[in-house]
Amino acid sequence: MDNVQQEADRLYKQHFGKLVASLLYTFRTMDPESAEDIVQDAFSSALVDWRLKGIPTNTAGWIYTVCRNKTLNKLKKDKWVTAIADHADRGSTETNYSDSVLDDYQLKLLFACAHPDLSPKIQVVITLKYVINLKVDAIARLLGMTIDGVDKLLVRARQKIKDEKIILEEPHPEALKSRLSIVHKIIYLSFNEGYKSSWGKEMMRQELCEEALLLNKSLIDSRLGNKDTLALHALMLFNSARFASRFTASGELVDLENQDRSLWNRDLINLGRHFLAISESEIISSYHLEAAIAHIHCGASQFVLTDWKTIAALYDRLLKSNPNPFVELNYAIALYYAGDKNAAFNLLNELQQHSFLNQYVFLNLALGKFHQLEGNSEPAAHFLHIAFNQTHFNKEKDFIQKMIDKL
Amino acid sequence: MERFMLIVREDLKRIGQLSPEERFAAGPDMGDWVKSLAESGNYIGGEPLAITGRYVTQNEVLSDGPFIEAKEGISGYDIILAENINQAVAIAQSCPMVMTGFAIREVRPMQPFLNIQEKK
Repeated sequence: MDNVQQEADRLYKQHFGKLVASLLYTFRTMDPESAEDIVQDAFSSALVDWRLKGIPTNTAGWIYTVCRNKTLNKLKKDKWVTAIADHADRGSTETNYSDSVLDDYQLKLLFACAHPDLSPKIQVVITLKYVINLKVDAIARLLGMTIDGVDKLLVRARQKIKDEKIILEEPHPEALKSRLSIVHKIIYLSFNEGYKSSWGKEMMRQELCEEALLLNKSLIDSRLGNKDTLALHALMLFNSARFASRFTASGELVDLENQDRSLWNRDLINLGRHFLAISESEIISSYHLEAAIAHIHCGASQFVLTDWKTIAALYDRLLKSNPNPFVELNYAIALYYAGDKNAAFNLLNELQQHSFLNQYVFLNLALGKFHQLEGNSEPAAHFLHIAFNQTHFNKEKDFIQKMIDKL
Repeated sequence: MERFMLIVREDLKRIGQLSPEERFAAGPDMGDWVKSLAESGNYIGGEPLAITGRYVTQNEVLSDGPFIEAKEGISGYDIILAENINQAVAIAQSCPMVMTGFAIREVRPMQPFLNIQEKK
């Protein structure tokens, strides 16, 4: 690969999404597809031009200028010229274009993606696409979807974006405030997609977690954030600290109980503590509660020394604000380890009646595991076999098979 | 966030001819949809409904009810939280049963009782 190709690739990887975002912001009437085409086109021009004339000193600025000119030409052609000149020259000249300038665009775009009329899934998909700058196949792998499925979501989102100018109009200050909770949710879900153990290449998932942390940090620095933003940051830091310990060197899944706690990143845990401390607020959000739970896990030097009573109490509180059967499952697990085994089994048995939860691998896994711990090997085998058949992920199947072998 | 009921409507006569196993095997898998709604904090609860029940009026109780003949009868429901009705609609559109044309979803905001005076 020659230097020109290398520099173009580097720039493409770092700036593609930002360039698209900045075009959408500078030219409010443009739709995302056209913006992507123009940026794509500018990179093609760069390869030709740089090989002829050499690589310019400010390559990002060069690309941006080309994008802007191409856009102006296109707009003229399309006879869309409405008060563009005013937008086009604002803060977009080659000289003041630096790596950091567009981070604000990124944040603005994030708030645009947090449009309350879009479903949470679509909000996440367009954020991954336009804000975090992932390609469709990467999004599909991360979300456990097919490329076709992601494309279909994007087509529908694009139509809506076009019809209602969702990405093109910067939400006004009042809307920014009311959208903050959706922005939190998008960051939280994006992080979780990266953190979930079941699929995707580990490097890619870790990068997504880092992107989510960076977005949240810029939200904090922008002063648009509030106490919930800080609690969410603490939560993500506590979970990041445990990232490496969840798999063995050969890629096998390790559950919380058997993780090598010396691998947990102390610096991240301490940073998480700092953010949890400054997030203190009279209004307790689900992020506060989840961060407090993660904090207790991080503070336990051994699994058996975990303060499960407090964790169970925190889940109980979380259920009051977020009543759903999946949180109930976590609550039941905490109750079991806190020693309240009857209550735990009662709740787990109750959850089995739930039409969706009894299809859920982790309910049957928990039932299998707890029966095993209680020495009831027959029901343990029963539930573990159900769980085995309910997951499609090889890592999870291997994990459950090992438990069955141990019976 | 506001609460919405997403009512499932489908051809009850058709489902009535199937065993429960066949009925659910015929439809698309709903697990991932429910799970992702739960993860995003939008899911409260819901379940499918049996086709036959009782139909109760002031003067009589009908077995099976007249609704078994319904082309778009109620066959299940989910209760969700959404920012507004548009988001609730977007969520309903992403339901696998709707995406595959298997069933229709009716989206209804849950309406709290307002200003009930104490009855004497």
